[in-house]
Amino acid sequence: MAGGPPKALPSTGPHSLRDMPHPLAGSSSEEAVGGDSTPSPDLLMARSFGDKDLILPNGGTPAGTSSPASSSSLLNRLQLDDDIDGETRDLFVVVDDPKKHVCTMETYITYRITTKSTRVEFDLPEYSVRRRYQDFDWLRSKLEESQPTHLIPPLPEKFVVKGVVDRFSEEFVETRRKALDKFLKRITDHPVLSFNEYFNIFLTAKDLNIYKKQGIALLTRMGESVKHVTGGYKLRTRPLEFAAIGDYLDTFALKLGTIDRIAQRIIKEEIEYLVELREYGPVYSTWSTLEGELAEPLEGVSACIGNCSTALEELTDDMTEDFLPVLREYILYSDSMKSVLKKRDQVQAEYEAKLEAVALRKEDRPKVPADVEKCQDRMECFNADLKADMERWQNNKRQDFRQLLMGMADKNIQYYEKCLMAWESIIPLLQEKQEAK
Amino acid sequence: MTHNNFWLKKIEISVSEAEKRTGRNAMNMQETYTAYLIETRSVEHTDGQSVLTDSLWRRYSEFELLRNYLLVYYPHIVVPPLPEKRAEFVWHKLSADNMDPDFVERRRIGLENFLLRIASHPILCRDKIFYLFLTQEGNWKETVNETGFQLKADSRLKALNATFRVKNPDKRFTDLKHYSDELQSVISHLLRVRARVADRLYGVYKVHGNYGRVFSEWSAIEKEMGDGLQSAGHHMDVYASSIDDILEDEEHYADQLKEYLFYAEALRAVCRKHELMQYDLEIAAQDLASKKQQCEELATGTVRTFSLKGMTTKLFGQETPEQREARIKVLEEQINEGEQQLKSKNLEGREFVKNAWADIERFKEQKNRDLKEALISYAVMQISMCKKGIQVWTNAKECFSKM
Repeated sequence: MAGGPPKALPSTGPHSLRDMPHPLAGSSSEEAVGGDSTPSPDLLMARSFGDKDLILPNGGTPAGTSSPASSSSLLNRLQLDDDIDGETRDLFVVVDDPKKHVCTMETYITYRITTKSTRVEFDLPEYSVRRRYQDFDWLRSKLEESQPTHLIPPLPEKFVVKGVVDRFSEEFVETRRKALDKFLKRITDHPVLSFNEYFNIFLTAKDLNIYKKQGIALLTRMGESVKHVTGGYKLRTRPLEFAAIGDYLDTFALKLGTIDRIAQRIIKEEIEYLVELREYGPVYSTWSTLEGELAEPLEGVSACIGNCSTALEELTDDMTEDFLPVLREYILYSDSMKSVLKKRDQVQAEYEAKLEAVALRKEDRPKVPADVEKCQDRMECFNADLKADMERWQNNKRQDFRQLLMGMADKNIQYYEKCLMAWESIIPLLQEKQEAK
Repeated sequence: MTHNNFWLKKIEISVSEAEKRTGRNAMNMQETYTAYLIETRSVEHTDGQSVLTDSLWRRYSEFELLRNYLLVYYPHIVVPPLPEKRAEFVWHKLSADNMDPDFVERRRIGLENFLLRIASHPILCRDKIFYLFLTQEGNWKETVNETGFQLKADSRLKALNATFRVKNPDKRFTDLKHYSDELQSVISHLLRVRARVADRLYGVYKVHGNYGRVFSEWSAIEKEMGDGLQSAGHHMDVYASSIDDILEDEEHYADQLKEYLFYAEALRAVCRKHELMQYDLEIAAQDLASKKQQCEELATGTVRTFSLKGMTTKLFGQETPEQREARIKVLEEQINEGEQQLKSKNLEGREFVKNAWADIERFKEQKNRDLKEALISYAVMQISMCKKGIQVWTNAKECFSKM
């Protein structure tokens, strides 16, 4: 941080991040720390915000824990996440059952979203709605707007090159479905994002278009304020920890890009290998028609090569459908994370600039002006959220890649096992003594 | 290894070394060639010990000379083929250069195989020139040429002519010729596609090597994931380099197929000889029949067939009875000779068919045995490749699990 001594947050003395209530939580959070409180239902709807009424409309608190808006409870939740199993989870979301809709104007796919939850924010214990890609896109941009200090998971790519990929093919739809499911599950697992009002609407509303049309502003104060951060301020130096994150993300995205290219190249070589195999096998078959005693062995070899070809095709399909999309997802993820980092920089830059301006004015004021304080709040809140999200992201990334790479190894093992079985099974055939002619 | 008339005991033959040499050729120009060391050992019955009896150096052209000689003197035998003169059916990694050490090595094995095939053939192993090939280094070429075998060789033109004009070849040979043509075609196709398959497989394995490097670079920025990634990358390198040995082994399989590709040509040669003999026979029979006809006409005075003599008689007048008698006598002599010749040609032809077919049956059994074995060893190679693949990926998976 540039400028003078660390600024105390309004109405509290210097505390460690752990102990401090969320700077934007306002007076009600002081009661919320360590205790039970449920904000009034009024907070579920938008209303005009004054300076004091800075409450995140996250739809209230889950039973038994403090306000999700406080950073200490945020960290509590992080710890909770580590031991989340079936019992402690209270929200389950699944994306499945893609269906094609043919209308006069267009053809599109919808997916069924099934939600099961015991949370009070949900009126019913179970919901089932249908959504299309556009709706997911809407949700994501709303989340970005309303939770700008958090890392929002990526969506699979919006546009597909027509003619190259069939948007309605089973493989494409299935790949997309898995990615959309992943997207919602990541939000579900997030202690702050999962309580977002837009998320709730997305999961529960019968007709999403009503909400889209009305353009209900459920923006948080934070969202609103970050939106209005002028981009005119240039940050001098990124704090070390965020610079490290930035560097990490740069290298990470670079390496993933390389891995993506290698994986694509392997698939390409495998497909070309497959093409040759499909010509190779039948030649043995042709040969067997010329022979007497050798006919069966040759035919056996031909069939064997055919089986290996099929196994190879399965491998390349699996890699294309399951491996490549996840890599791409993470590249998109790290891109969006870098933008969040930049936004954070802007917030800090504005704060530092304003602070400097105050210092330069040399006015002897007893208190820091309110708008500088606001900037500081914004910045510290952003930093806290981002750090927490980064940690959770690192954890998830490790799980995801562990699973992804183990999966890749598994698929290759299965391929070789299928081929092994094919070749082992013809050895007895080849060794068989023919009956006397 | 069968007993050999000249050694009277079991022998072992090996082409044990190959050496680059420089010398002067027939036009006194400097040339580089490879010479091969042939070692012959006789094996004692009692203790199985082998004693080196002969060792000499030969170059590829001398092997060719030996084979050409055998082709002429044993036309009813399916003569074992030589390994290819120039590298063909190469996939990109293999060199097409005759001086390439891998090619020379494979040729060395092929030449050894050639000699072993001859030595184990019940008839060919007894040949004196073959014996001298293994025992008499100097002067062998002159000895072979002195046999005059080149003169005895049938001209290609004659053979081609016979192929088109023969009327009644033995059906078995016609079928065999068909078979050898198709065999040659299918094995060529197989070898070509196999080379392309090898090329592609090479590419697949080698690209995986890139994972090794990128995992290593990635592991540098990771904390907990680093070790797992790094060690997995090492396994990817192992995977990528394993393909070299795998494909080298597969070349051996390709060589086994190639031998039979070339054997198809040897089969065809036997069929061609039969066609030639049959054609010869048919011409001789035709000739005899026409002479008999002439004789009959002269004796009876009827002219059924067109003959120059008949024409001139018509144009220039009848010949005297004495002249006619003389001609009949000549014809009768020729007919006798012709009948003798036809008889012996028939006998020759039948002998040829009998002997050739015996060798062809022997060859068929050898071919079935050898190719079955080749297919088995190919399957074994594939199994080994699969097992290696499973091993490497299992190791990598374990590394990933530790991420």
